[in-house]
Amino acid sequence: MRKSFLALFKKDCRMLASGKFFLMAIGFLALYTAYVNLGYIRFMQMPPYNVYLYDPAGTQTERSSLVQTVPSMKAMDTALLADANGVGLDASAGDVRVVIYTGAKHVDRHRTDYALSLLHPSDSRAPAVLGRNTPKQKARKEITCELLFFELAAVGFLGIAAVLFKEKGMGVIRVHAILPLQRNLFLLSKLAVFLLSDLIFAALLTLLNVGLEDGGAVLPAVLIQTAILSLMMALVGLLCALLLKDFRQFTLAYLIIAVFAATPVFLSANTSVKFDWIGYHPFYHVYMGLKNAYFETAISPIYYVGSTAAIAFLFLAVQFAFRREIGKEV
Amino acid sequence: MIEVKNLTFSYSKDKQALHGLDFTVKDGEIFGFLGPNGSGKSTTQKILTGILKGHGGKVILFGQDISAAHGREFYQKIGVLFEFPYLYANLSAVDNLNYFASFYPRKQRQDVGELLEMLEFKPDFLKKPVSSYSKGMRQRVSMARALVSDPRLLFLDEPTSGLDPSGAVLFRKIIEQERKKGTTVFVTTHNMLDADLLCDRVAFISNGDLAALDTPKRLKEKHSDRRVVIDYLYQGQRKTKTIETPELEAGISFAHDEIVSIHSQEPTLEDIFIQYTGRGLS
Repeated sequence: MRKSFLALFKKDCRMLASGKFFLMAIGFLALYTAYVNLGYIRFMQMPPYNVYLYDPAGTQTERSSLVQTVPSMKAMDTALLADANGVGLDASAGDVRVVIYTGAKHVDRHRTDYALSLLHPSDSRAPAVLGRNTPKQKARKEITCELLFFELAAVGFLGIAAVLFKEKGMGVIRVHAILPLQRNLFLLSKLAVFLLSDLIFAALLTLLNVGLEDGGAVLPAVLIQTAILSLMMALVGLLCALLLKDFRQFTLAYLIIAVFAATPVFLSANTSVKFDWIGYHPFYHVYMGLKNAYFETAISPIYYVGSTAAIAFLFLAVQFAFRREIGKEV
Repeated sequence: MIEVKNLTFSYSKDKQALHGLDFTVKDGEIFGFLGPNGSGKSTTQKILTGILKGHGGKVILFGQDISAAHGREFYQKIGVLFEFPYLYANLSAVDNLNYFASFYPRKQRQDVGELLEMLEFKPDFLKKPVSSYSKGMRQRVSMARALVSDPRLLFLDEPTSGLDPSGAVLFRKIIEQERKKGTTVFVTTHNMLDADLLCDRVAFISNGDLAALDTPKRLKEKHSDRRVVIDYLYQGQRKTKTIETPELEAGISFAHDEIVSIHSQEPTLEDIFIQYTGRGLS
């Protein structure tokens, strides 16, 4: 059995290598790492709005270095025309007057408060900080978690389905029905290849983007969550590849999963948008499991029971579809 | 080797594919299973190879009921050539064969290089991916895959499909060699020439029923109208005469100068198949 599994595992690795899957994974890793370190973190540290001050008499002596002074009202108008989210402060008449292009009411209020707070930075109250993460570290963990979830749920899912569609097209799945091997090994070897590749990907992505020390600390929990999501997505990918006729049909299923299933999860987990029904969405729990792993928050044992049951159910469904596929007429 | 009694199978309640087949295949026999598309040939082969479950009746292979015999040991004893050459297109012939061979015990495996040489596979293509092979080359690799485990029972589905005439002759020679080694061969085919030249016995299947089962020779004799057509020359003219075979026992009674040819008018297997089933084989 061990020898059969190794033969299947080796063959699956070759299939993936010939389909440039590993190359693609390395490419995505480099792309994500560059995005986090060169783009996202810098972006998150940028001030939310530019603030322009017209103060000919120089009354605002305490102002923050983030405030940009303009020589005239005309120059402020020009600046705001080019930067419609910016906030203008006119201190030429004694009291400070706020000048903005209006948008949503609550956002305008936020822009105004922020701009005015920059005139007296020392007055800002220091809030009580919860958790141990610095804002930078929090941003790193959040974006790494999102990218890893996207990679596992979309890219890996596509990869496993592509391999199986290839084998289905070549008809070789049927040959495995008459070989002296346990049929489940055919599925298990594929799951093992993808699981291993996802675990390596998750470890590298976490260490490169969260950092060696912090990343290392959360890595065991992240790898457990990666394994759960990887197995689920690989099984869904296998099921789709076995049940659907061709890659075109699969692309439609992929779009449904990527757009309609993943979008509300990201919205609910990362923004203030809350859907009443999100608790029934399985992806939400899996995503939160991954996020909790990054932020070292306890995960309910019920979640593990549910995940194990889901994986077992999906495996049985894949097994059924696989047996159906090998017995099919040509 | 194979014993089938009252074999039935249904894909759904109103779609019965097999209606109670009865036949046996002896050890070392080449048994032909002939029938048009949709007649139940593939279904029968799938049941015999343990791929399809849920049949009715009895199927005994290697002295064991098939429902209890689809484990590792069973598959080590059989080799299957599918109708289409199912191979990994991105791997070479050698890599494909080494991969499939790796599931069998080492002492049972045949040498991949020797097998491909026996099948007259072009050596230049040994390491090239299967995607660059012609249909005939793929069929040779598929045959090598079926033989690589040195099986005791060989299932061949359209073995000469996609081969040129010399390739078909080679395949028939190899199948004969397998039989000489003691391998039992179950051939599913449309090809009457293959069936006639290779098979010890043939079974005709039509609409899930067995229409006839006998040696090709006996089937042809049974349905022969016992006539011969004689081409001859007489007084400088070429003539043709059809006579009853028993008439020949007394010698050629009509006047002639020279006999050019004598052709027996026995029917082909296809003619007999049509007589039995009312359907052609294609």
